[in-house]
Amino acid sequence: MDFQNRNNTANKFVCPSDRQLALRAKLKAGWSSSKSSEPLRPEEQEAIISVIRRNEEIEVAERLRVGRLVERVEKIKQHAVERGPNCCRLCGDTFGLLRGHRIICEDCRQAVCTKCSLDINIRYHTSEKSREIWLCRICSETREMWKKSGAWFFKGLPKYDIPRSASATPTPTPCIGGTMAGDTRAVQSCHGTPTRPARIKKLTIRVNDSSSSSSHSEPEDEVDGGPAGASASNGSASGTGGISKSGSTTGGRLQRDDSFRLRAYGSIRSFIDGGERKLSNSFFFGRQQSHRPSECPDYDSVSMSSKLRRESSFLRRGSVSSSWSISDSSGSGNSGNSHTTQSQSQSQAQSTTQSQSQSQPYHQQQQQHCRDPLLGWLEIAISYREAFHSLDCTMVRARDLPAMDAAGLTDPYCKLNIITPEAHTKYTRWQRTKTVHKTRNPEFNETLQFVGVEPEELGNSLLYVALFDDDKYGHDFLGAAKVCLSTVHSTTQYRISVPLGAEDQYSNAAEMSQNWPNGKMLLSLCYNTKRRALVVNVKQCINLMPMDNNGSSDPFVKIQLKPDAHKNKKHKTSVKWRTLNPIYNEEFYFEASPHDLNKEMLILTVWDKDLGKSNDFLGSLQLGAQSKGDRLQQWLDCIRLPDHFHEKWHCLAPDNPAH
Amino acid sequence: MASGGDPKWQKDAADQNFDYMFKLLIIGNSSVGKTSFLFRYADDSFTSAFVSTVGIDFKVKTVFRHDKRVKLQIWDTAGQERYRTITTAYYRGAMGFILMYDVTNEDSFNSVQDWVTQIKTYSWDNAQVILVGNKCDMEDQRVISFERGRQLADQLGVEFFETSAKENVNVKAVFERLVDIICDKMSESLDADPTLVGGAQKGQRLTDQPQGTPNANCNC
Repeated sequence: MDFQNRNNTANKFVCPSDRQLALRAKLKAGWSSSKSSEPLRPEEQEAIISVIRRNEEIEVAERLRVGRLVERVEKIKQHAVERGPNCCRLCGDTFGLLRGHRIICEDCRQAVCTKCSLDINIRYHTSEKSREIWLCRICSETREMWKKSGAWFFKGLPKYDIPRSASATPTPTPCIGGTMAGDTRAVQSCHGTPTRPARIKKLTIRVNDSSSSSSHSEPEDEVDGGPAGASASNGSASGTGGISKSGSTTGGRLQRDDSFRLRAYGSIRSFIDGGERKLSNSFFFGRQQSHRPSECPDYDSVSMSSKLRRESSFLRRGSVSSSWSISDSSGSGNSGNSHTTQSQSQSQAQSTTQSQSQSQPYHQQQQQHCRDPLLGWLEIAISYREAFHSLDCTMVRARDLPAMDAAGLTDPYCKLNIITPEAHTKYTRWQRTKTVHKTRNPEFNETLQFVGVEPEELGNSLLYVALFDDDKYGHDFLGAAKVCLSTVHSTTQYRISVPLGAEDQYSNAAEMSQNWPNGKMLLSLCYNTKRRALVVNVKQCINLMPMDNNGSSDPFVKIQLKPDAHKNKKHKTSVKWRTLNPIYNEEFYFEASPHDLNKEMLILTVWDKDLGKSNDFLGSLQLGAQSKGDRLQQWLDCIRLPDHFHEKWHCLAPDNPAH
Repeated sequence: MASGGDPKWQKDAADQNFDYMFKLLIIGNSSVGKTSFLFRYADDSFTSAFVSTVGIDFKVKTVFRHDKRVKLQIWDTAGQERYRTITTAYYRGAMGFILMYDVTNEDSFNSVQDWVTQIKTYSWDNAQVILVGNKCDMEDQRVISFERGRQLADQLGVEFFETSAKENVNVKAVFERLVDIICDKMSESLDADPTLVGGAQKGQRLTDQPQGTPNANCNC
């Protein structure tokens, strides 16, 4: 029998290179030198063949095993929806307002939700090292597959057989895992493409609609705004009848403007949410607005453009640009000129966005800003002092930030960091400005200093600014901007006005950098139309504070609706003993009409059950029409789309609302 | 007959019930005790009668280590020169090597360097090696001190054990250590180079974004 052939069938032998052959000759081993030794005797051959046969059995089983591993990963990959950057790669859950829980997978750098990701602790047994990383399920399974199949060792998947049932996948692919992985990626990307253009199309419709660049969008808007306006005027007629004519027009105008702003915000959100639902925030906001006196200074622009009321499309454009021109006249920014000219030319919001963002080096950034031209503007002044290696970043002001509460206002603050060429944040601690309360056009005028920035770093680093809405119960993202530092020189101050773009990994990092000592709660709300009741499902809490000596707590949640018109009793969940991450999944009903809900506030407090002494307070959460950002969004969603559960994570605040 | 079939089936089922499969190879000069070492570990048996291994042989043992079931396919090679063609063919699939010498045999110790060269020539570059001095129970006939063995191991940058298959000293420890080293190498290689796993993924990611960009742009 020929042993070299045997070896070939086992595919253990790859033809050696000249160098290898030379080495073997030196070693007096291998093909070139072993000819001299006596041939194997038949019984020896027999023995060796039997060993090789036994090995073949194992290899066949092994190939099947690896095939099963590959198949398993492929199945998971097929189930991945890959809907877009704002949706979980795997389950397609939108991050929307659930931002705290978007996780960027270490391997594929794609965003996934907590359910579809794993916190992997890599431990080394021979040393004390250990590292913790987050991986999406695809990547963690791929890693497992690479480990289990031995591909990690051979730098490619070994030969494998897909089990009989799976016919679609081609039969044993030759070694070298790269090709295999490449193939599957290609298949996957084909699979992914049909959905992607669809989403982009949807997006562009939205953008056109909200920025009113085409007359086509007009009727749709009228339909949208019409009933809202009607109901609002009804409300004002029945409620405060004695409003003067001009007052009511301004009120209506105000409502109109506001509803637009909020709707624009909503439409972006709805895009993020991936839903196609029509947003009519205006209904709820309009109602409140009509009662509200129009003395808010931020709405001076309103009176200016009130004449334009009938020409709705023009008006809306005006409302965007008018607030700019005001800001220009009031502010003495260098960039003021460019702003005025642009607003004069009345070119559509996007074209300005585009021209603005063209000064930005990053392609991606441009895309983001095109997508959300309505997240506002930020004016920054940057200077670099070479002697101190310090970068002084002055947040001058922001304009047209998204509204976060029912009054159409926001409490913005900025968080800053420098992003290195390796796409990491340079500093672990994010610098933040003070909060400017109750305005969508904050004047920050605050200088933050980054020390230890080398001159050569400036060329390829970015300044990253994320704006958040300050709130007790979690900080909502407003917009983010990146500024290329290559244009910053040591001698002159560099002033720039940048459009604010959508959230991304860095803004998440900025948000995550804040720790919430009181933990978080997953809350699901639903308005049940049959029972005319608000269903509150307390799902779970995480990272609660330990209150007992044993390092944990015995948490339960009290739930109350205030003011309590329907004499609902207070509810509380069961006590979960000795845990900081209790899972309740308990439902409670609060009788209330949807109209009442607009005035009411759901108060949840988390307590540590103590026997024999008073319970310890762990955290609180308030939801209602008066709350902001995510809380408000969930509350409104719940009223607007009844009989559906709306689930969100919320941060718990440290103060007890009862006190 | 049914009873004959049953264990086989059970064995098969158990066969597949593991997480990782490591292939290990025991090499070293003839009669240093490679086969005895393997028999001690796999079957916990020992016989002092010397039977030269014909070419190659292997045994399979599944161990439980760090919450993972690791199936070891341990190849026992013939030390004799005439089987070298066959044995070297199996170097390429091995993740770990147990390089063995006999503490009572100067020659076997001197040829350790040659065996290392063999490993370097035929194996994958990230294969892990442990140096083992066997027959440490035979203190009266010892010619290679523990120190010399340790020094050589340091020099080669590998771990070192002195064992006795006869007295069952350190046999299990050698395998456990090798499994640990390979496990760490595995974590490290995946951790250090995540792109390895992703294959085309990295490229994919870069093209991903611009893909969406043009469409988003033209509608602005």
